[in-house]
Amino acid sequence: MKSHYEKSFDQHRTKKCPVYLLDQYGYVPIANKRIVTKSVIWPVENRFITADPQLYPTSTVWIVFSNEIVLSWLRANGVFLHEPKIASFFFGLKIPDIMSENGKHRILMVSDFFFPNFGGVENHIYYLSQCLIELGHKVVVMTHAYNNRSGVRYMTGGLKVYYVPWKPFLMQNTLPTFYGTLPIIRTILIREKISVVHGHQAFSTLCHEALMHARTMGYKVVFTDHSLYGFADVGSIHMNKVLQFTLADVTQAICVSHTSKENTVLRSGLPPEKVYVIPNAVDTAMFKPAPERLSNNEIVIVVISRLVYRKGADLLVEVIPEVCRLHPNVRFVIGGDGPKRVRLEEMREKHSLQDRVDMLGAVPHANVRSVLITGHIFLNSSLTEAFCIAILEAASCGLLTVSTCVGGVPEVLPDDMIVLAEPDPSDMVQAITKAINILPQIDPQTMHLRMKKLYSWHDVARRTETVYDRALRCSSQPLLERLSRYLTCGAWAGKLFCLVMLIDCMLWQFLQLWQPDRDVEVVPDATLTSFRPEEMSWDSETLR
Amino acid sequence: MDESSAAADSFENGRYKYIHDIHNGPPEAIDVHRIVLQRSSQKKLLIFCFLALLLFASPPFFFFVQQLNLLTTLPWSLLVGGLFVRLLSQKLVKKESVIILPAFGVQLETQYGSGRTIRRFVPISKILKPVLNECVTPVTCYWSLALIIRGEEELMLVFKELYPPVKMLVPIWKAICAAIDVEET
Repeated sequence: MKSHYEKSFDQHRTKKCPVYLLDQYGYVPIANKRIVTKSVIWPVENRFITADPQLYPTSTVWIVFSNEIVLSWLRANGVFLHEPKIASFFFGLKIPDIMSENGKHRILMVSDFFFPNFGGVENHIYYLSQCLIELGHKVVVMTHAYNNRSGVRYMTGGLKVYYVPWKPFLMQNTLPTFYGTLPIIRTILIREKISVVHGHQAFSTLCHEALMHARTMGYKVVFTDHSLYGFADVGSIHMNKVLQFTLADVTQAICVSHTSKENTVLRSGLPPEKVYVIPNAVDTAMFKPAPERLSNNEIVIVVISRLVYRKGADLLVEVIPEVCRLHPNVRFVIGGDGPKRVRLEEMREKHSLQDRVDMLGAVPHANVRSVLITGHIFLNSSLTEAFCIAILEAASCGLLTVSTCVGGVPEVLPDDMIVLAEPDPSDMVQAITKAINILPQIDPQTMHLRMKKLYSWHDVARRTETVYDRALRCSSQPLLERLSRYLTCGAWAGKLFCLVMLIDCMLWQFLQLWQPDRDVEVVPDATLTSFRPEEMSWDSETLR
Repeated sequence: MDESSAAADSFENGRYKYIHDIHNGPPEAIDVHRIVLQRSSQKKLLIFCFLALLLFASPPFFFFVQQLNLLTTLPWSLLVGGLFVRLLSQKLVKKESVIILPAFGVQLETQYGSGRTIRRFVPISKILKPVLNECVTPVTCYWSLALIIRGEEELMLVFKELYPPVKMLVPIWKAICAAIDVEET
């Protein structure tokens, strides 16, 4: 019993015009042989065919699973397309080249770091997801379980979060079992009909595992790196190798600043063309300046950061007494907690600065704005930063910023809103003096309005959407070509990575036999507006 | 019950079969939803277990009791195998049903392979709402139907042993919601 395609194939063959029945990689599924003729050209990146119209004036080309770019190219070059629809699952060949409907994507954000934990990466994922939902896409977040918060939760706007019950073992990271997370990730990808997987933060093991499994299953993958890392110490060397493995096969990568792009490209050996720079943003509606301008009699310098070595708490210990000595009308407000808090308290005692230095302790994020608006100047002394959101928040509140010139900090604010200094105490004291002198020229409201125009999460979401569009237009590559990319990672590492990926592929095939894709139920897209059972779109017809 | 019963709906999906009956009779129409585990997989499993036991139970006897010959050890292995199969059939679920008695309550039944049936009754006034939950385990994610009981912390699972697909859970959920709504008005 011949199939529809086979019958038409025979029909056209009798008309003596060449018929090409092809898939994306140039294979003829019926005859299982490859069509390569003189006029067929296969560029490496995109599997186009060019059936020369002069040589084959009446050639009928059948395209089976291709994407819109190939089809439109062919039409433009005068090739007649018979049934130019995208036909998938033809002859049991299943390559998940999932095209998004009407340009809207279904995105899975994966990271170990998400709410209820608080920090920059978590904030980034949340705000980006909310803005993408407003643009019409569907976003699902996957992270590990926190204490007894496990299962499925819904956040504002219908953002679905999967708290997968894998226990974190070190610094909020899931135990890296290489293949342990394959079943649950495959289940989530199929039931939510995901088209793009977006991983965040190089330090997250769940992210690396999810990206590896998503690549094995053929999904398009985007990775965002949020921090700078070193090259010299043992931890960094191992981390960079893991990153090299993940990024060897990533579709697109995003970095939060140009410095971060340089750092990521050097660490992972990724071609720079694949890396996009999309800076973070700040919620300017939440960080508004004080309604009344503060008087300039007493200048308040605010510091809000975790008091750890990386954030330059040791620099603060040197800088604060010097500044207090030079400028008698300056007061400090220090918010935040950490191991270095003891040193700051000692400094306070030693120089008797109890009335001039206020230590607030840990400040919850909701109260950060109220602390910021009590000050004139914001001091950031971190020793390394990919992109500092704290100074964005301060600038949005109308504070003048003094910061160390490290990492991506010079790229964040315009020159008239920030005074930069070397991470050296004397240089920083000079910078603070300069800032105090500039202070009368600063207007908080103007600063806030400028920040509103410069940074917004909607802009970040639009740019990220462009990255997703580019990622989905990239062609899917066969397994062998992908494995060859891993071999370039290193003499021993390359072979090891290839082996890891091969085992992953085999495990995936085994899982597909154990529980075929069609046995995994797809979640119906229920709208959250109505609560009455009759109005919910859970009809048996739509589910079948 | 000698009332007329109308088979309102029934469909199959792989391992599970969903049957929906409505018994029309005094005092009111009783809704019965049944989920049956397909016999083929159950039978195959039983036969496989029996044969495996037969195969593996016999050699240890030969090792330990060398004087005895096949005629005396075979009944022993058959006995052990039979006991094992009986134990297994007690654990294997044949079908689970939900009987909605309007204005009365909901009865949840679990019938095992050996014929043993466990029934739980929940009065309609105690049910706050039925909910469809997505349960996430370390390896998979599946749907389950549970009842929120007034005054209790834990949800009561409607299907304790089986994991039916969501297509079968939705009509049952709607029916229980409708029964509660009627009760409230």
